[in-house]
Amino acid sequence: MGKSDNTELTKKARELLRKQVDRKLAAALETCVRCGICAESCHYYVADPRPEHVPAYRAEKLRQIYRGLFDPIGRIAPGWVGAVPVSDQMLDSLVETSFASCTMCRRCTVNCPMGVDNALVVRAIRSLLTATGRAPEMLEQLAEAAIMREEGLEYIKDLFLEQIAELENELREKVGDLKARIPVEEQGAEILYVALSGAHTILPASVLFYATGTSWSLSLFEAANYGVFLGDTPRAKRITQRIVDEATRLGVKEVVVSECGHAYTTLRWEAPNWFGKPFPFRVRSLVEVMAEWIEKGKLKLDPTRNRLAVTYHDSCNLARNSGLIEEPRTILNACVTDFREMTPNKQHNYCCGGGAGLVALPEFSEQRLNAGKPKVKQIKATGASIVAASCDNCRHQLGELNEHYEMGVEVIGLAELVVNALVLDKGRVPGKEPVVAATV
Amino acid sequence: MSNADVVLDLKGLLCPIPVVKVSQAIKSLPVGGVIEATATDPGVLADIPAWTRTTGHELISIERQEKLINFKVRKVK
Amino acid sequence: MSTVETSAAIAAIVGAVVAVVGCAWHVRWMFSLPFKGDVATAKGSASKGVMYAYTLGMAPWEKESTRRHMVGYLRGVLFHVGIFAALVVFVASPWATVIWPSVRLLLAAVACLGGIAGLLGLAARFGEHNLRAISTKDDYFAVALVSLFVLTSALAVLSPSAVPVFYVVSAVTLVYLPFGKVRHCVYFFFSRFAFGVFFGHRGVIEGARSQ
Repeated sequence: MGKSDNTELTKKARELLRKQVDRKLAAALETCVRCGICAESCHYYVADPRPEHVPAYRAEKLRQIYRGLFDPIGRIAPGWVGAVPVSDQMLDSLVETSFASCTMCRRCTVNCPMGVDNALVVRAIRSLLTATGRAPEMLEQLAEAAIMREEGLEYIKDLFLEQIAELENELREKVGDLKARIPVEEQGAEILYVALSGAHTILPASVLFYATGTSWSLSLFEAANYGVFLGDTPRAKRITQRIVDEATRLGVKEVVVSECGHAYTTLRWEAPNWFGKPFPFRVRSLVEVMAEWIEKGKLKLDPTRNRLAVTYHDSCNLARNSGLIEEPRTILNACVTDFREMTPNKQHNYCCGGGAGLVALPEFSEQRLNAGKPKVKQIKATGASIVAASCDNCRHQLGELNEHYEMGVEVIGLAELVVNALVLDKGRVPGKEPVVAATV
Repeated sequence: MSNADVVLDLKGLLCPIPVVKVSQAIKSLPVGGVIEATATDPGVLADIPAWTRTTGHELISIERQEKLINFKVRKVK
Repeated sequence: MSTVETSAAIAAIVGAVVAVVGCAWHVRWMFSLPFKGDVATAKGSASKGVMYAYTLGMAPWEKESTRRHMVGYLRGVLFHVGIFAALVVFVASPWATVIWPSVRLLLAAVACLGGIAGLLGLAARFGEHNLRAISTKDDYFAVALVSLFVLTSALAVLSPSAVPVFYVVSAVTLVYLPFGKVRHCVYFFFSRFAFGVFFGHRGVIEGARSQ
C-alpha cells in the first residue's frame, strides 16, 4: 500500500479524473476490448516486444483506476474487471508508464480497429501525476521558465535582444545586405514568427523571410510548450497566452510556428479550444508557408546545391496529428536532387522516440534511445546521408540516435535545406557556409 | 583558472538541452556550489536567466565572447 | 408452451429489457458528459472523417495492424457477424417455423462459424503472452458467454427443442451486456466517431483532406 492516506488520495484522484472525463476520454476508456493488435504499431514494442509496451497495456493502467472509481462493477468486484485502488505506489509506477514509455504519437490509435485514442488516456495519466506532484522535475522547470520569460520580461528582454542583434549580423552576412533585419515587436507586421530558443530556428527562417520580402516580426517568446507535456492544460494555456497576447498586440494576420511538432499542434489545434474560440489570426507552420512560397514561385531554388540523398522523418505531431503530409514533400522535391521516402511514412510513420518531452528528460534517456531503434532501421534502409526533420524534438532525438547507433548521417531542418538551395536576386546564394545545425 | 565546482561544455548543444544539462549537474552540488558553463546556442541568453529565476538559483554572470556564451550559476537551495 | 419454455421466454424478454435499458443508460451517460466541438479552423472535413471511420476505415487492408493480424482480425469479424446472426435468431425465434429453411440454414451456418471464431479468440486470449497480460476475468467470461450465445442460436434455429436453452443463455448474456466488456457495442460508435472527427478535421485522412 502507499505511504499516504489512501482515502484522501482516492478522493483527490476521483476529483481530478471526474474533471477530465469528457465524452472523448470516456469513449477511449470504455471501448478498448483488449484485442492487442495495437502492439506492433508502437515503436516501444517494436524495439522491445514485451507486454508492458503494448499500448493497450499502458492505457489499461488508467482504466484500472477509472473502473475502481467510477464503474459499479469495479467497486463491487474489482478483481473481475481489473479495477485497482489508487495508492501512492501505483501512481508512482505510472510515471515511467506515461512519461517514459509513450510519446502520445497516436500510431496505435490509427491502427486500432475501435479507434481508441490512447494518447488521450496517457495525457490524462500525465495530468493526474502532475496534479499529485509526480511530474518529472525538468518538465516542470521548463514550463515555469517559459512563464517566467513573460513575467520577468523586463529582465530577460535585453538579453534576448542582444541575442537577436547578433543573429541579425549573421543574417546580414549571409544575405549580403546590411539592411536585412530580424524585426522584433514590429507593430503592423503581417506575420508573427514564433521560433524556439535555438538560433537554428531563427536564422534560416529570417533568410527566407528576407528572400520573400515578407512583413514579419519575431516573437519575444519561444514556441515550445512544456505545459502540454505535463498534461497541465491551465499551464499550457498560460504559456500560449503570451503568444496570443503578443500577436493581438501587434495586430498580425498570421502566426507562423517554427519547425516544431508539439508547438504547432498546440497553437493550431489545441489552444483555440482552451480559449473557446478561433484566434483572430491564422496559425500556420513554417513548413506550410515554405511550401506555399515554392508553389507560388516566390523562392528561387537550385536543388543541385543539395546533392546528397535526403530522407524525411515525418513528425508525428505534424503528419499524423496535423495532416502536414504533402507540404514537406513539396519542399523537398524542390530543394534536393535525391529525396528518398522511408517506409512506412507520412501518417503511418514511426515515432522517433523523442516526442512528448522525452528529449528533455535525461533520467529516461536509455528508454528513449532504445525506442528509437525502429527509426534507425528505417533511416538506414533508405541509404540516405541526410535526414530532414521538421520538428525540433525529433531533431534532438535523431541527432542522439545518429551518435548512439553510429548512423553516420546528418540531421537537418527543412528550412536549412531550403536556405542551402536558395538563390537570391541576381543569382546570389546566401552565405559562404551552409546553415547546418550541430547535432546533440 | 576557474573557481567553479563543475565546468560544463555545452558547445554545440541546442536549446533547451543546455538548460537540461545545467539542471542535471546542479543536483550533485552542495548549496553554494558553482557551475561554470560555455555554450554556443544564443538561446541560452534568455533561457538560463529564465530558468534561474524559476528555480531560485543565482545567475552570477552571463556574457558573450564572440561566438561563445559563458555563464556561472550558484546553487542557492 | 410448457412451463420451462414459458419461463425461458420470460427470462429472455427480461434479459432483452435489461440490455436495452442498460445500453440506453450508457448512451445517456455519454451524452451527459461534456463534449466540446473543435473550434480550430479545419484543415479537412470532420464529416468525411466520420464516414471513413465507419466504413473504409474498418476494412482489413486499411490498417497496418489488421494487415499484420489478418487472421485474428477476420476471426473477430466472423465472431461479430455470428453475433448479428444470433441476434436475428433471437428476434425472429417466435416465428422460426415460418422462416424459409434455406434462411434458417444460412443463419445457423453463420452463427456456427461465428461461435467457433469466438472460441478460437478465447483460446488465443489464453494462449498469447500479450493478451494474457492485458486481459481481465471479464474479458474471458464475456467472450465465452457470447460464443455460447452464438452457438446456441445455431442450435435453436435448426431445432425448436433447443430454443429454451438458447433463451436462457440469451437471458444471461443480455443481462450481463451493460455491466461487462460487451458494452463496448455502445461505446464503439462514440470512439469511431471521435476518431473520424479528429483525423478528418485535421486533414489526416486522405479522403477528408482539403486541397
